[in-house]
Amino acid sequence: MVNTAAWDIQDHSGQLFPGLPARFGVPAGPGVVEGNEIPYQPWAQARKQENYKNRLTADPEAQCYLPGVPRITYMPHPFQIFQFPDRVVILYEYLHTTREIFTDGSRHPTLPVEFWMGDSRGRWEDNTLVVDVTLFTGETWFDRVGNFHSDALHVVERYTRTSPDHLLYEVTIEDPKVFTRPWKMRMPVYRRQEPNSQLLEFECYAYAREETAGDAK
Amino acid sequence: MRSSVRWAIGVAAIGAASLLASHVAQAQQGCPAEAALFHPCAQARAKTFRPPRTRDGKPDLQGFWRGPAYGTENVEEHPMTDDDNGGKSLIVDPPDGRVPYQPWASAVQKENRSKYVEPNVPCFPSGVPRSMYVPTQIEILQTSSAVLILFERAHTYRIIPTDARPHAGPAVALWMGDSRGRWDGNTLVVDVTNHNAKTWFDQVGNFHSPAAHMIERFTLVDPDTIHYEVRIDDPRVYTRPWTMAFPLRRNKEPGFRLLEEACHEGERNTDPLIRAGQRIYPGVSEEPRKP
Repeated sequence: MVNTAAWDIQDHSGQLFPGLPARFGVPAGPGVVEGNEIPYQPWAQARKQENYKNRLTADPEAQCYLPGVPRITYMPHPFQIFQFPDRVVILYEYLHTTREIFTDGSRHPTLPVEFWMGDSRGRWEDNTLVVDVTLFTGETWFDRVGNFHSDALHVVERYTRTSPDHLLYEVTIEDPKVFTRPWKMRMPVYRRQEPNSQLLEFECYAYAREETAGDAK
Repeated sequence: MRSSVRWAIGVAAIGAASLLASHVAQAQQGCPAEAALFHPCAQARAKTFRPPRTRDGKPDLQGFWRGPAYGTENVEEHPMTDDDNGGKSLIVDPPDGRVPYQPWASAVQKENRSKYVEPNVPCFPSGVPRSMYVPTQIEILQTSSAVLILFERAHTYRIIPTDARPHAGPAVALWMGDSRGRWDGNTLVVDVTNHNAKTWFDQVGNFHSPAAHMIERFTLVDPDTIHYEVRIDDPRVYTRPWTMAFPLRRNKEPGFRLLEEACHEGERNTDPLIRAGQRIYPGVSEEPRKP
């Protein structure tokens, strides 16, 4: 992913990130939200502003928690897609995050269960993989400026191959507890071209712990 | 020739149906679980077992599996206690079942246990080979150019390319190491390097250095058992290479799937240990120790 949605899914200027030296600031970027508007209910708009003020510590990413869907897709780390007859597996470098998207016609479980990464069921519509994701926790955000959702989040992702080296990634967000209507994001995904590209690791919380570890003995 | 004569006599004596039944029973029973007994039994079975194949003709290792969870308590033989289930050593070479440490390293192992937070407590990736026997569900998937191993434990995974690409550069250190696979007959052979060596083999601080070179072998020896071997070579730490071997048993529960173990997100044990004076394990340096 080469956009700046990880910092802010809406239009934004280059700026300092609170608490960090200027060189770790926020890169400017056009938003990925259709129409650039997120239709928050009034209480939720106020909550988003609150999140923004407290973003340095309140962002679940600051705790290195699993980032949820769709945020994992536009984190600044690569991912790799593997296809099987009954599922699509996406492995992400960030936190070794794993998604199994079942394409065998099965439905979401009806148990009272929730997942940081949701439960994904996919189907093929012509050249598009359509993934229905539900059973989320209400604890993840969409970006680093406090855009958020509740546990009623319902995500529909559409992955469409638009060239040998590009996917179009479209997302519909629905959450009747937080928004007044469904809304959409849309962005291209670019294939890595480096011959030695491979998923490495970004074990965020392990690095945070290592700060206290000192040098190797 | 003699064996085929015996085969014919055997069939005549006990009848085809009961012979078949005894073969099925033997396959179901499998080799004994204890590493020292399992290893030679599995080696013998591997010579005759014809594994199912994937569409591109490779042995089909796919499915859900579990390793011997007691190994995560201690890879060496250890008794049952209030904390441990206990179990025999996973080490088949050397024959005494002990990690062949150099003297300084033996002292470090004892120090590890008392001084540092066991690296699995803060939900760090379990590394190789511990991921193969940590108490968790394992799923193996295969493509024409890679074998994937997904672990429910802390949602980690291994991508094992089988397309002969070189290892990552030596400066790249990884919790799960860098794996490169190839097929040797019916065996998946995986070469693992680039360890950050901040993982332990078990809860008692058995360890290796970043220079450790591991060679794993995965061989189906009956429809529901993988013979897993790992040879660990690390001249900085051990007096000789050593080998663990154990069964991975298939989980045949219908409709089974891996769930999400959001380990770190709910982890509350590490901070009290740090407050009690334990430290995060920093690993050992790559430089050889002076005797």
